[in-house]
Amino acid sequence: MRDHQREVTTTGVPPWKSPVALSVTLHLLILGIALAGWSWTSTDHEPPPRSISARLITQQEPEPSPVVEPVDQQKRDEERRAEEQRRKEEAERQRQEEEARRIAEQKRQEEQKRLQQQKEQERQEAEAKEREARKAREAEAARQKAEAEAKERARQKAEEEKRRQEEAKRKAEEEKRRQEEQRKREEAERKRQEELARQEAERKRLEAERKLREQQLEAQAEAAQRAREEESRRQREAAAAKAREAQMLSESEKYQALIRERLSQAWYPPSSATEEMTARLQITLLPTGELAGVRLVSSSGNTAFDNSALGAVRSLSRYPIPNDRDTFERYFRQFTIEFNPRRLR
Amino acid sequence: MTHRIWHKPSRTLLAATALIFFAVSAARAELLIRITEGADSAIPVAVVPFAESGQMPAGDKVSSIVQADLTMTGEFRTLPPEKMLSLPSRREEVYFRDWRLLGQRYVLVGALSRSGDRVQARYELFDVNREERILGETAAAPASNMRSLAHHISDKVYEAITGVPGAFSTKLAYITLDTANGKPRYRLQVSDVDGKRARIRLESQEPILSPAWSPDGEKLAYVSFETGKPVIFVHELATGNRTKVADFPGLNSAPAWSDDGRSLLMTLSKDGNAEIYRMNLDTRQLTKLTNHWAIDTEPSYDATGKGIFFTSDRSGGPQIYHMDTPGAEPRRITFGSRYNARPRPDNDGNYVYYVHQRDRAFHIARTELKTGEETILTRTESDESPSVAPNGRMLIYATRQNGSNVLTVISADGGAAYSLPASEGDVREPAWGPLVR
Amino acid sequence: MNFSAQSKAFALLLSVGLVAGCSSTGGTSEEGGEYGSDVAAVDQEGGSTVYGGDDQGGVSSSAMTEEERMEARKQAEQQALREITTFYFDFDTAEIKQEARDVLVAHARFLANNPGQNVRIEGHADERGTKEYNLALGERRANAVQRFLIVNGASRGQLETVSYGEEKPAVMGSSESAWAQNRRVELVFE
Repeated sequence: MRDHQREVTTTGVPPWKSPVALSVTLHLLILGIALAGWSWTSTDHEPPPRSISARLITQQEPEPSPVVEPVDQQKRDEERRAEEQRRKEEAERQRQEEEARRIAEQKRQEEQKRLQQQKEQERQEAEAKEREARKAREAEAARQKAEAEAKERARQKAEEEKRRQEEAKRKAEEEKRRQEEQRKREEAERKRQEELARQEAERKRLEAERKLREQQLEAQAEAAQRAREEESRRQREAAAAKAREAQMLSESEKYQALIRERLSQAWYPPSSATEEMTARLQITLLPTGELAGVRLVSSSGNTAFDNSALGAVRSLSRYPIPNDRDTFERYFRQFTIEFNPRRLR
Repeated sequence: MTHRIWHKPSRTLLAATALIFFAVSAARAELLIRITEGADSAIPVAVVPFAESGQMPAGDKVSSIVQADLTMTGEFRTLPPEKMLSLPSRREEVYFRDWRLLGQRYVLVGALSRSGDRVQARYELFDVNREERILGETAAAPASNMRSLAHHISDKVYEAITGVPGAFSTKLAYITLDTANGKPRYRLQVSDVDGKRARIRLESQEPILSPAWSPDGEKLAYVSFETGKPVIFVHELATGNRTKVADFPGLNSAPAWSDDGRSLLMTLSKDGNAEIYRMNLDTRQLTKLTNHWAIDTEPSYDATGKGIFFTSDRSGGPQIYHMDTPGAEPRRITFGSRYNARPRPDNDGNYVYYVHQRDRAFHIARTELKTGEETILTRTESDESPSVAPNGRMLIYATRQNGSNVLTVISADGGAAYSLPASEGDVREPAWGPLVR
Repeated sequence: MNFSAQSKAFALLLSVGLVAGCSSTGGTSEEGGEYGSDVAAVDQEGGSTVYGGDDQGGVSSSAMTEEERMEARKQAEQQALREITTFYFDFDTAEIKQEARDVLVAHARFLANNPGQNVRIEGHADERGTKEYNLALGERRANAVQRFLIVNGASRGQLETVSYGEEKPAVMGSSESAWAQNRRVELVFE
């Protein structure tokens, strides 16, 4: 049994409303949103430290205020020198402290930087993690959504499918009925064709048989003719023309008998025919033996009788004629057939 | 098949005749071939089932009725529809080559259409070899009368092919015998020529014999024993009224109508033995036509309407005789056997048909009036009551078949036989009704 | 022929009984051929008692003359013959057979002696041939019987003929035997 299911396409729904397109669009949208909010960060891009420096830990110590005391000059000079020395040493110490501070600052800054970087990294990692997490969540959501959608789609599809199948089934049944009828018709047609073929074959077989018989008869006639020819040629040279004439005549007689026999078998005289009825037809043949023309030259006075004669003459598709062209032309190119029923006693 | 008394001459004689003829004709310019015998078989005809448009009444199809009619004559051999290569209903659909291949000489096609309570038939008959239409007509009938329409078509087809009017629209009268309540029941019935649409006209517990159709087809004369003895009635079919026309002492039998329907021939024995009389139906006056101590009975007018055939055993056994005019000296017609009875001449004056005994069997035979030649037509052996169709082409008679009495139709020359479908009980005494114009 | 053999045997049988049962008082009835049931037969010569009819005891009767005896015997014979009322014919003839003549004579004599007695003569034929001709043939047979009866004493007024031709066979069938039994005339006494 052939599959009557046609290719099921989603018909009747505009392309942009199809579930597939819808889900694709949604995915793109999600993707777009995700991308839009995506901060394309790389480890190269750092915010300036100022923003972070608010959380510095170390503070600069305030400069101690200079205390001035009244002392003797020497002492004061000594003291001054010592103070200068102390100041110089202080300055040096301060310078060293500054240096150290600067170095420490630098270190601190580097440390900060490093911490910043680290924090940045961590932040970024965190961010990345969060992004990933978010991505994952989103993906999950998207997936779920997609899943839900897919389910929805599937459900719709299933419904659609069901509808389609019902439709298809109905159509299939109709089709089946049509096919049934068509098959019946085809069956009948086939039978008729078969019968035609069988009739044709039968007819061909009968035709072949008839032809065979004809051929056999013709062969016999030919052989007989040949024998006569030889004899007459041997015996009568002088009367060659006469002999030829007689030969044509006797040969033509054979074919006349053949034609008469064939026509008798093919003639259905009407039951009302009487012995008084005579119809004469003039026949013209082609050299192949086929009928070239028929003419009713003398009517019997009864139309049914005339028609029966015409019918008989026309029913022969080929008239048996001699092979010898001269004989054919002399006797059988054109001749008369007379139909007249006689009950022989 | 026929027991032909005619015979074919020997082939050498035929050849010799032909030879002489052709030797003579050789002197002429043109050859002449003579066909003196035709095919000894039925003409192949194809009756194609008619196309139908509209609801057709139930019952036999028109084409199958036509087919049965043509077959009944014995002159046609119809092609079964399943062998047809196509089912044309008009000329354009007829492929003559197909029908030639099937060996058919004629093909009948047609179409039926229903309008209201009438059915119209358009039909055409083609000569296959000449590829010509030889008949075409449109006919209509009430839907309740399709059989008559079909028989009309058969009549036309038959006439177109044979030149003789068809007899398919005629009626048959016959007697059936069965038992009812242990008693015999005789029924006079009238049916179509194919035995269909039979209607009972008279029912009796006593025998009914010799139904005879008036020439106008409106009355039947018959012999009834209902009063205990044979009495002749004339029965008007349309009204059912009947008149007792002969109730003389002794026999009142064998009624036969004159051509003008105004007098009846009959057999009466009131004067001592069975003689033939003519009764004027208007005046009831009798004229005695035979006067012989022998049995003279079964009279029938000949084709001229003046002469009379009858059965007489004046020569020792029943033989057929003919009077040229009523009351003239009868001339004996049959000689071939010791029993020949019940003459029925055809309407053309060609033949007289009768019951003929040969050896121990009773057949139907016919004599050709012009030559006196006799031919036995039937092979069955208990034959009675021949009745010729009004077109002279068929004969119906009663015979025994498988232990019961049936009616059989044969072609008038004794060809194919066609038994009518058996009805209840025995059937006998068929009478073929006249052609009704 | 069946007819003759049958009737001969029957007549013989009855004759035997008759002779044995002759009553000295001439008790054979003249009406309708029935014996009185209470009459016993006595054979005068032999002295033995032979009974005919019912057994009712012997009754002595006076002697019968030779003439009377012969008369009685003849009448009994006639009665026996008159038991036969169907007569058969050969195919296509109405010729009365020899065997039927005696019987018909008996009937004719009876009718002559009983002018009040009517009889219907029904003629038939076998089924072969044509109905109408057989109707006429049946009538001819009935007429032949009628003529014979008249010639032998019956009067025309007592006789009525009718023919049924082949329409009322006695025996159904298409055999020689059935046909033979249907070619007949029947006497129906009314």
